[in-house]
Amino acid sequence: MTQISRSVEVARRSIASIKGCTRQYPGVLALDNATFEVAAGEVRALLGKNGAGKSTLIRLLTGAEVPDTGSVAVDGEELRHSGSNRAQDAFDKGVRVVYQELSLVPGMSLAENLFLGRWPRKGGVIQYANMEAEASEAMGRLGLDRPPNSLVASLSPAERQLLEIARVLLGKPKLVILDEPTSSLAAAEAEKVMAAVKRIASDGIAVIYVSHRMNEIRQIAHSATIMRDGRIIETVDVKGADTREIVRLMLGSEASQTAALENRSQGQTVLEVKDLALSPKLASISFSLKAGEVLGIAGLLGSGRTELLQAIMGVQTQDHGNVLVDGVSVAPGHYKKMISRGFGYTPESRKEEGIVPLLGVDENTLSTDFSGVSKNGILSSRLMAEATRKVIERLHIKTARTDTPIGTLSGGNQQKVVIGRWVYANSRVLLLDEPTRGVDVEAKAQIYTIIRQLAAEGRSIIFVSSEIEELPLVCDRVLVLRDGTLQEEFKSPNIDQDALMAACIAGH
Amino acid sequence: MSLDQAAKPTSARTSNKSGFNFSQHMNELSLFVAIVVLYVVFTSTANGFLSFNNQINILRDAATIGIAAWAATLIIIAGEIDVSVGPMVAFISVVLAFFLQWGVPTPIAFALAIVVGALLGSIAGALRAYFDVPSFVGTLGLWSALRGTALFVTDALPVSIGRNDTLDALDRSVLGIPPAAIIMLVLFAVFAFISRKTAFGRSVFAIGGNAHAAFLSGISVSKIRVTLFAIAGAMAAISGILLVSRLGSGNATAATGLEFDVIAAVVVGGTSLSGGRGSMLGTLLGVLVITLIGNGLVLLGINPFFQQVVRGLIIVIAVLANIQAIKRSVSRNKG
Repeated sequence: MTQISRSVEVARRSIASIKGCTRQYPGVLALDNATFEVAAGEVRALLGKNGAGKSTLIRLLTGAEVPDTGSVAVDGEELRHSGSNRAQDAFDKGVRVVYQELSLVPGMSLAENLFLGRWPRKGGVIQYANMEAEASEAMGRLGLDRPPNSLVASLSPAERQLLEIARVLLGKPKLVILDEPTSSLAAAEAEKVMAAVKRIASDGIAVIYVSHRMNEIRQIAHSATIMRDGRIIETVDVKGADTREIVRLMLGSEASQTAALENRSQGQTVLEVKDLALSPKLASISFSLKAGEVLGIAGLLGSGRTELLQAIMGVQTQDHGNVLVDGVSVAPGHYKKMISRGFGYTPESRKEEGIVPLLGVDENTLSTDFSGVSKNGILSSRLMAEATRKVIERLHIKTARTDTPIGTLSGGNQQKVVIGRWVYANSRVLLLDEPTRGVDVEAKAQIYTIIRQLAAEGRSIIFVSSEIEELPLVCDRVLVLRDGTLQEEFKSPNIDQDALMAACIAGH
Repeated sequence: MSLDQAAKPTSARTSNKSGFNFSQHMNELSLFVAIVVLYVVFTSTANGFLSFNNQINILRDAATIGIAAWAATLIIIAGEIDVSVGPMVAFISVVLAFFLQWGVPTPIAFALAIVVGALLGSIAGALRAYFDVPSFVGTLGLWSALRGTALFVTDALPVSIGRNDTLDALDRSVLGIPPAAIIMLVLFAVFAFISRKTAFGRSVFAIGGNAHAAFLSGISVSKIRVTLFAIAGAMAAISGILLVSRLGSGNATAATGLEFDVIAAVVVGGTSLSGGRGSMLGTLLGVLVITLIGNGLVLLGINPFFQQVVRGLIIVIAVLANIQAIKRSVSRNKG
């Protein structure tokens, strides 16, 4: 397999190469003697689970990081300097990255965004005619046919991504790195982006494509480099490689472990979702959840996991379909009513939606129901401290005091408070969206334990995660969300990481 | 594991506690210093500044700004703004004067005036909460419409109310202290309590700190926003009642520019215009700073036009110094 891909590489001129690079962070070996090369006109997929070293590899190429040992070369010349000078050096040599977070100004026109800050000027006056003509051409090359004077706000997410790529191309790059460019797009929209990627490569630009969607990778990439634990495991020819094989390379030997979850009795069905649809992400979702059950939802970034939870909670209103609580259909779009039915929801982006950073752990915990710590409508410091301490002890939250501002806590402890909020509210169904994201290993283990304990008390939990390996540790059952529907079901103790990962990334 | 957890907090306690509280009180502390400096400067330069009568005047002036500033503090903590205070006070004074002219019993007229204020305020609140009209725009609309209505109806002439014992009593000092000052201080206590000790007050902080998180944790964000502006309207109405008691008439041209004194007092008091942070005590000190500056400059006989320049400078310098002091104390704590 390696041989085939190597012959592909040799055929073309090498654009970027990393030779024997190691990068050590405090406590983590982020990159371990990695050697990597990408050629002109090649589309190289980069695969690996979180923390495998993909972003460190990218940061080496962009000059954002200096390797401890080894060398990085772009277009035959080694990157020099350190700090921002090194990044500038990489930029000058033609390395560009299109990140997931878009950097467009919605209220300005397409042309203005394309040339943001570098508008063609004559005596301080922007030359709109020139700029728009150039913009039209640049966008046309990527298949983005929109009037250059229309606003970015009017574009679809895929078109914004195309505009972002077009902007990068204006600098005549040699290497373009795309970091999960289709993660926020529905399948049909992703096609547009992939067509653009093919076009870039045919112009002789090297492309590194970070993604986990196997069907996309098969369509556009020549070969795929798989990383694990900071090492480059193998570079395979995608056409010949089997998805299961790629999964095995991504997960390594640890994949064969299956966690032994004791089987517990489960109660009655508390939640039923019937044929729920929310365009463009969810087409038709049906499942049910029993009391005391931990149900995992696996799916790639952008597969509609968050939308599903939010539709159940009434934060978003579904296009059609029903949500039944205790067998009774509930009116869509009423978040507060779902809370009073005993439901609790922890959002994916803890900082933006989960916490009020300036307020204390106590108020962040108790805000679901202040009446429980009030006497005659007046908050009682004693009751607040008592109630908070109970949650702190139960969830092992590390905080100096009950009123320490939550913003000063570590991510893991913040997350435990956000979960603790619903423990305090005595919710019987908890919907946890990526509760272990950005959380250290110890806190992750604690969160798993907490979830199991809550389930043992008869609460039901929906656990959404993009980290495949943690699902078998926590879940009684896992559903795989892909292309807007639930594709497969795995039941403990037969939740196999390999099969789970394959189900998440597999194409048709 | 739990033993391990229990041991950790104790070590973290000391450093964390002193760090946070110090920077939290830094704001009030530096304002207090500013007030002392203003007292020293004006006592030594302005004749009669320290006299009992002048001190009472300061209190009375402070009441006009203060009563509105308590509500404005909550509004600004919630991440909103209210620029309609001045016209609201004037409008309510006119409304009250008409009620009394029509023979409405005084207590009922008072109650009605407060209800009218609350209803008008809640218009801006509802526009914000349910239609996403920025509170600046909603209250700017009120600012213009209320002043305009009051002027239109009265032709800019005072609406006299005749003899009214209740209103006279409201302007008669108790042990030398004007009732307006007492009402201001009582309301201060109420608002300080609300902001720290009630679910409503804490929800205001949560909404200003992160409205999305507040919503997801089940706080009724929209209702609280409407309530905030209703309260602000009611407080402006109380100021309007006190204005009538002081002038003996409703006056459409009164309280010009009051909204800016109020906002200045809140901001000088250390409340963040971006929401989520602030304190009633800070606002109380801010109100004193603003009032002292106004009073002292008058006593010094400075040209009234130039007074505005000095006032502007002092406000900006006060806020600048305050921010610097807090920054320094925070960085010292980190280092």
